[in-house]
Amino acid sequence: MHTPVKDPTGKTTEYRDENDTCPVCKSDRFLNKNLRLLVSPCYHRMCEGCIDRIFTLGPAPCPIPGCGTILRKMQFIHQTFEDLTVEKEVGVRRRIAKEFNKRRQDFQDLRSYNDYLEMVEDITFNLINNIKVRETEELIEKNRRENAALIELNIQRDERDVSSLQEEEARERRDREQRAAELRMMEEEEKFEKEREKQAIIDGLATSNTDADRLVAKTRAEAAKRSQARRRPDISNLLSSSTTTSYNNTRNTFAKDEPHVPFTDDWDDCHDRFSLRLPGDQSPYYDPTTIEVRKDVEGKYRAGGYMLEEVWERALRSAVMALDITPLPEDE
Amino acid sequence: MTVSLNGQASVVKKSLYEGSTQFRHWRFSSTSLAKLRASQNADAVAKIRNAFEDDSPGSSSTIQFLSADEEYLLVKLYISKISQLCAHFRFPEEVEATAVSYLKRFYLRNTVMDYHPKNVMLTAIFLAAKTSNHPIGIEQYVHSIPKTKPADVLDLEFLVAQSLRFEFTVWHAHRALWGIWLDVQTISGFNQATLEDEYGQALERVRASRMTDAELIFTPSQIALACLHSVSPDLAEQWANLKSPNTADAVMETISRIQEIIDTQSGPPDLAMVKDIDRRLKICTNPEKVVGSKAYMAKQAEIEAEAARKRTKKAEGLRANMERDPFADDAPGATLVPTEPQSAALNPTRDHRML
Repeated sequence: MHTPVKDPTGKTTEYRDENDTCPVCKSDRFLNKNLRLLVSPCYHRMCEGCIDRIFTLGPAPCPIPGCGTILRKMQFIHQTFEDLTVEKEVGVRRRIAKEFNKRRQDFQDLRSYNDYLEMVEDITFNLINNIKVRETEELIEKNRRENAALIELNIQRDERDVSSLQEEEARERRDREQRAAELRMMEEEEKFEKEREKQAIIDGLATSNTDADRLVAKTRAEAAKRSQARRRPDISNLLSSSTTTSYNNTRNTFAKDEPHVPFTDDWDDCHDRFSLRLPGDQSPYYDPTTIEVRKDVEGKYRAGGYMLEEVWERALRSAVMALDITPLPEDE
Repeated sequence: MTVSLNGQASVVKKSLYEGSTQFRHWRFSSTSLAKLRASQNADAVAKIRNAFEDDSPGSSSTIQFLSADEEYLLVKLYISKISQLCAHFRFPEEVEATAVSYLKRFYLRNTVMDYHPKNVMLTAIFLAAKTSNHPIGIEQYVHSIPKTKPADVLDLEFLVAQSLRFEFTVWHAHRALWGIWLDVQTISGFNQATLEDEYGQALERVRASRMTDAELIFTPSQIALACLHSVSPDLAEQWANLKSPNTADAVMETISRIQEIIDTQSGPPDLAMVKDIDRRLKICTNPEKVVGSKAYMAKQAEIEAEAARKRTKKAEGLRANMERDPFADDAPGATLVPTEPQSAALNPTRDHRML
């Protein structure tokens, strides 16, 4: 009878609370374990029992004192939010979005579009807060009459947008699955190839009289050639895929890397009094103390951020710095 | 002409070394160094004499206190021991040089008669290892030094750091020499093989210069150049002319002074003499620093009393604050003190405080 939660994703659930009490019959969860409160179009809550009792025989006024809106049984909806004002706002906005669905391109300039949006927001606000409801409803009705064709067109447009978006997503998902399947197949083939290679070696050793090492090497080389031939087109395929191209496009738009100027004060770091040779130069300094650092096979020194050029620069700097400072005078 | 003058005035920049603490706080002339040591020594002697007199009047008349030169000689002996210890721990040269600088600087602000250089030396090496990025665990450190406990090193650590004014960075002559050696390779016309040999000899000279006061008077690059000059005068002069063409003569004059100091002062101190000084030091050590002596007890009691006085003063201040707390009467724990309206009326001062 009552609309259950309409949400295929299952992310929203019906709101229920342990302390729920029906404001009409005052029954609560202690008396009725399956108490379910539903919300009327005038945003009042009452239990399913009361709704059956009052509205089974046709439309009737809302039993909440001071309301009296004529309600039907089918109009009751489940509650999603704890706060009924939020419930109401969501409902109003959903309704208004259907009525006022003009787009930017339906207007000549931005100004008029913004005015339209503001008018829509005013209407929404009035409906939510029950301000000048009758006039607002008239306004909505007038809009519906005047723009019936456009509204219908825009509804169709929205539907088209949604369906194209869904298509796009579906295509991407298909691509992904296909790629994963290809990868899986490649792996399997590789495994199979390895197995075949092993088998070929064993067979060869069993049947022929050639040298064992040479046979193994020959079979391996053949297998390597085969796998090479198989892999090549895959790489080119991968490069032309859409994700890679879009990544390349974004890379080109990076900001230019300006060199950093560390010192702009009155201190002189004496860098103009020597010219540093770098470790990667044609003829770097002859320096036996740092041979090990320059080789650095395991990357031990580099890992800690040790940079030989900086160490050399520091030494050179301390060599030329303060060379011409006169010592303090000898007083008597 | 004016344009160039103006341009020059705006371009004059100070080298980064002139911003260092070494330049600003640890730079002296040889006479001012001698004066500083003498006045330091006189102050220390006066203080220690007073301590002896307080202990038992007339007892200081027979004591021969150390002179400034004798103090310096003892420090010098322990400077020479630093390199032995650092070699044992396989510390890099940087640690050794830093520790030497620390020891020298420490005794510019303290006296041997207060703190014996043996322990200060150990602390200086331990601290230098930390500040030059080669830290060693205290247990591992004292393990290889006989008759030393972790407390011997750590108790002095803060004092040493404080005496250094927490200025741990030292500009070393051996780094400057390394830089000079790298840079002379760009001057053509010198044989690389002999150059390496000369660098080794110059480095030995730099190590010798650490036994002197040179680093407290001259800049590291000057000391390094002086050391190279005494090994290979041509090379040093050519390099100096290249690097500071305008002031080359002044630099050469400074260098000759450094060489003179290294030649005359870098020898190790006479061992017999130092032993005699150490024997006398046992007698004239500040009694307030000798653990277990009567003066030490008295000093400790004095410190203790001062601390207690401060504590009680602080506690009183806190208590007064607590009583003045306007919320104290409303607190549930405050029911112990009855605050009826009559008693409040009878007690005007309390009423006044409430306002």
